Amino acid sequence: MQEPVTPRTPLMRRPTTRRALLAGAATVAAGGTAAAVVGLTTRTSADSSNGSSLVVPGLAADATKSAADELKKPIEDPKVRAAHLLRRAGWGGSAAQIAEFAALDRETAADRLLNFESVDNAALDAKIAAANFNLTTPGRGLDGKRPPLIRDMSRWWLYRMSYSQKPLEERMTFIWHGLLTTQQSQIGFQRSKQMITQNELFRAHALGQYDVLLKAVSKDPAMMTYLNTVDSTKEHPNENYARELMELYSMGEGNYTENDVRESARAFTGWRLTPPTKVQPPAGLSEKERDEYLDQLWGAYEPAFVLNTKLHDSGSKTFLGQTGNWGGDDIVDIIMKQPATARFITKRLFSEFAYRDPDPATIDRLVEVWNSSNHNVKAVVRAILTSDEFYSRRAYRALVRSPLEFMVGAVRGLEVETDWLTVEQSAAGMDQRLYEPPSVAGWPGGEVWLSSGTFFGRVNFLDATLFPKNKAVAIPSLSSQATAEATVDEALRRLVDDDIAPEARQSIYAYARTITNPQERAAAVAYLVLASPEYQLI
Amino acid sequence: MLSRRDFVKGGVALVSIGTSAQSLLKGSIAFAAQNGAYVADPNNKKILILVQCAGGNDGLNTLVPYADATYRSNRPTLGIPEADVLKLEQGFGLHPALTGLKGFWDSGKLAVVRGVGYPEQNYSHFKSMAIWQSGDPKMQLDNGWLGRTLEKLESQEHDPFLGFNIGSSTPDEMRTPAVSVPSVRSPADYGVKVGGKLADTSHARTATMLKLYDQYPSSSPYGVLLETTVETAISSSKMLQEVAKTYTPAVEYPDSSFGSGLSVLAEAIVGDLGMRVGHITLGGFDTHNNELDAHSGLMETLDAGLTAFYQDLQAHGKADDVLVITWSEFGRRVQQNANGGTDHGAGSVLFALGNGVTRGLYGDPSNLAALVDNGNVPYTTDFRRVYATIIDRWLGVPSEELLGARWDPLGFVA
Repeated sequence: MQEPVTPRTPLMRRPTTRRALLAGAATVAAGGTAAAVVGLTTRTSADSSNGSSLVVPGLAADATKSAADELKKPIEDPKVRAAHLLRRAGWGGSAAQIAEFAALDRETAADRLLNFESVDNAALDAKIAAANFNLTTPGRGLDGKRPPLIRDMSRWWLYRMSYSQKPLEERMTFIWHGLLTTQQSQIGFQRSKQMITQNELFRAHALGQYDVLLKAVSKDPAMMTYLNTVDSTKEHPNENYARELMELYSMGEGNYTENDVRESARAFTGWRLTPPTKVQPPAGLSEKERDEYLDQLWGAYEPAFVLNTKLHDSGSKTFLGQTGNWGGDDIVDIIMKQPATARFITKRLFSEFAYRDPDPATIDRLVEVWNSSNHNVKAVVRAILTSDEFYSRRAYRALVRSPLEFMVGAVRGLEVETDWLTVEQSAAGMDQRLYEPPSVAGWPGGEVWLSSGTFFGRVNFLDATLFPKNKAVAIPSLSSQATAEATVDEALRRLVDDDIAPEARQSIYAYARTITNPQERAAAVAYLVLASPEYQLI
Repeated sequence: MLSRRDFVKGGVALVSIGTSAQSLLKGSIAFAAQNGAYVADPNNKKILILVQCAGGNDGLNTLVPYADATYRSNRPTLGIPEADVLKLEQGFGLHPALTGLKGFWDSGKLAVVRGVGYPEQNYSHFKSMAIWQSGDPKMQLDNGWLGRTLEKLESQEHDPFLGFNIGSSTPDEMRTPAVSVPSVRSPADYGVKVGGKLADTSHARTATMLKLYDQYPSSSPYGVLLETTVETAISSSKMLQEVAKTYTPAVEYPDSSFGSGLSVLAEAIVGDLGMRVGHITLGGFDTHNNELDAHSGLMETLDAGLTAFYQDLQAHGKADDVLVITWSEFGRRVQQNANGGTDHGAGSVLFALGNGVTRGLYGDPSNLAALVDNGNVPYTTDFRRVYATIIDRWLGVPSEELLGARWDPLGFVA
C-alpha cells in the first residue's frame, strides 16, 4: 500500500467540520465519557427510529436509562397530541378537528376515528360525483375528450384522502395497498380499473379480520394477474404468489422453507378469472372506432374468480409441517395460525402508525390483542392508537413524511380546495405514485424518502402547485391574516404544531414582511413552511 | 464494538453544543483517518460504475452454455439456439442481443464471472439484494459495501460527487451516514425552481428556505440526515449545471431511461466531478412469464446503453479510468415454467467491462448435472471475490476490513 500523500492533521486541531465532530465523538465515546455527550441531546441512544443506534456500548447504564426514560415521556400539549393522532391515523387535521380532538381522552379520540361506519361522507360523495371521474375505460374516446384513466384514478383517491370524513378508512386502505401490493403498470394498461376494484376491496376490509382480507386479496383480479396466479397450472406451478404471500404479506422471510413455497404454490394452481367477453367489432369500423369499441369492452370487463379443477393440483401437500389436500384458502388458514404472522403484521401496523423498530415488549402486547381478537385489525389498531408508545416523545416526528402525506397533509392542514389536476406531472419528482409501488415489497419509506433528488422534487412540487404560471394560488386560511407575522404563525400552527426553531420563525417572518399582497404572501409562507425540515417529518 | 451509527449519535450531540450547521457541512475528514489505518491515495482517479440488474437476471440466457444437454432439455422453448448464440469460448456464448459486448470481448475489454453467488442462497429478491448490498450474507457489517468503501475514499476536500447515483433514492450498497450521495433522475429537474425554472439559490425565497435547514438543530430528529442531504443537493446541483454547459455526448445514447442515466454518469466523469463510484439500475429482470421477449429487450437495453457509454468515454479520453460491473440478486431456475418464464434461482453471471479489464471467463462454470435446491444452478464463485477485486485492485483500498474477511481477488483486473 502506498504511503499517504496528504499529511494528516492531528485529531484535535482539525477544522470543525461535521465529519471531524463525528470522528471526535467516537473517540469520546470510546473513552467512556459518552454519557455526557449523549446526555446533551433530547433524542437519545434509545431512539432507533430517527436513524441512530439502539445501544451505545460503553455508555454509563444510568445515562442510557435516563435517556430512554426521556423518550418514554408523553407528548404533553393536548393540541399537539391531537395533531399527532390526526396526522398518523388520518392524513392531517384541520384547525377545527385538532381543537375537537384535543378535548378528548385517548380512548374516545381513537374510537371517533375507528368507528367510522355511520359517519356521514355525503360532502365527499358529492364532490366525487361532480368530478365525474373516468375510473373504468382506457383510451381517450372518439372525441378525444375522455379523461385519462390513470390520472383520474389517482385524483379519485386523492379526493378521498383529502376530503373524507373517515380519514382512518383511507389510511387503512393505503396501508393495505402498500403491504398487499399490486403495480398497475404490471397488470396491463387495459386492466387498470382492476386497481379500483382492489382499492374498494381494501376499503371494505379496512379494519376487519386479517384472515378474510388475505383470502379476498388472494382472489383479487389485479393481484392474481400481478403475481401470476392466473398462469399457474398443476404441471407447472408458478411460485410467485405463494412466495410473496408468506414473505411479504404474512410471516416474513426466514419462517418457512423453499419446500413450503413449492408445496403452497401447488394449492393455488388452477385459480383463474373469467375471461373478457370476446366480441368481434362490427365490420366497417374505422381503426379509431375499432379501438374505442375495444376500450369500451375493457371498461365493462368485470372478471370473477373461478377454480379450474382440471388445472388445479388436488393432491396431498405438506405445508409448514401439515399434510392434506390443501387448497389456497387452507394455506391462508395455516399461515394465520403461525406465531410469525402475528408478530409480522402487528409490527407492521405499529411501524405504520408510531415508529419503526418497536421494542419486543410492545409487540408482545399487540400479539396478545391479535390472538385474543381472532386477528381483528381494528382491535390491534385501537391498541396502538391508545398506547403510551404512540403518544410518547419517541413517536413524535419519528417518521419521514411520505410524498402523499406531504401533499394531502398540506391540503387538509391549510383547508384548501384542489382538483388535483396537475398532480401527476408536478408530483413525479417526489417519487411516489398511487397504484404504482416501486416493487412487490411496497414503498420502503423512512430515510429512503430523503435524498437530494426527492428534496428538489418536494420543493419544486410546491413551486409548481403554489405558484402555477408564476401566480400565487388562493389560501384563504392564511391570506385572511392581517400581518406578515400572523400569516406565518397561522401556517406554523396548522402545519408543524407551531413547533419550529425560533431562528427559523424569524427567517420566515423576515421574508413574509417583504411581500405586501396578502395572496402572494400566503402562498410564499405556505411554500416555506411546507419546505421546512420540520414538515418533512410526521 | 462501536458501530459507525454510534459515532454519528455522539456527533449529533456534540453539534448541539453550539457549532453552526453551516460550518459542519463543509465536509473534510475521512472517517477512516480517525483510526489511523488508511488514507486514500489522492492520485487514484479510478471510477467504478455499478449496474444493478434488478429482479434476478437469468444467467443461463445471458451467458449461454449452448452445448449443455441439461440446458437444452430444461428449456424447450426458452433455450437459445446454438446458431444464435454469440460464441466466446469453452462452450459459452452471449445472448444474441449482446452484440456490443461481443465486440468488447473481441477487443479484449470484457470479462464474465460465472457461477457467482453465496452460500445458502436466499430466494427472496429483497433478502438476496440486501445480502449483495451489504456484502455480507450474515448481515453483520454496517451499512452498504460501497458506503464503507466511500468512507475510505473520502478526502480532505470532500467531493459531493464522490458517490453518485442515478435514481431517486440512495441505493442500499452506497448507504453510510458519513457520506451523502447525490441521487439524480432528471438533470433538468435537479435544482430549486422558481416559477417553474431552475433558479440561482440566491433568490430570496430559496435562500430563506435553505436557511431553515441551517437553523434546524442537528440534535432534532433526523437532523444530520436533513442537513447533509440538502447541502449535498445544493452543491451537487450547482456543479452538475456547470458541467452541463460544456459536456456534449460524443455518441447518441439510446432513448431509454437507462441510456439517459448513463449519459449523466458520463457527464460527471467527463466533467471531472471527483466521482469514484457511480450507480445505476436497470429493472425488470423478474421474468416469471414470457421471458424470451422480455429478457431479449433487457439484454438489448443493457448492451446499447453500455456500448454508447463506453464509446462516449473513449471519445473523451476517459475510458481508461472506468470499470463497469453488472450484478443481480440471483439467477433463475434451469427449468422453464408453464408461462415461458423462469422462477427465482441461485448462481448467476456478471460482467466486467473496461480498458482495464483482462478478458476471460472467470469462476468455474456451474455444473448443471448437479443442481441444488430442487433445480437451481449451484454457485461456484463467492460474490465477495468480485468485490475484493474491485476494492483492492481498482479502487485501491484494502478490502479485508471492508468485507470482514480476506477474499481472493479474481483476475479480471490485474
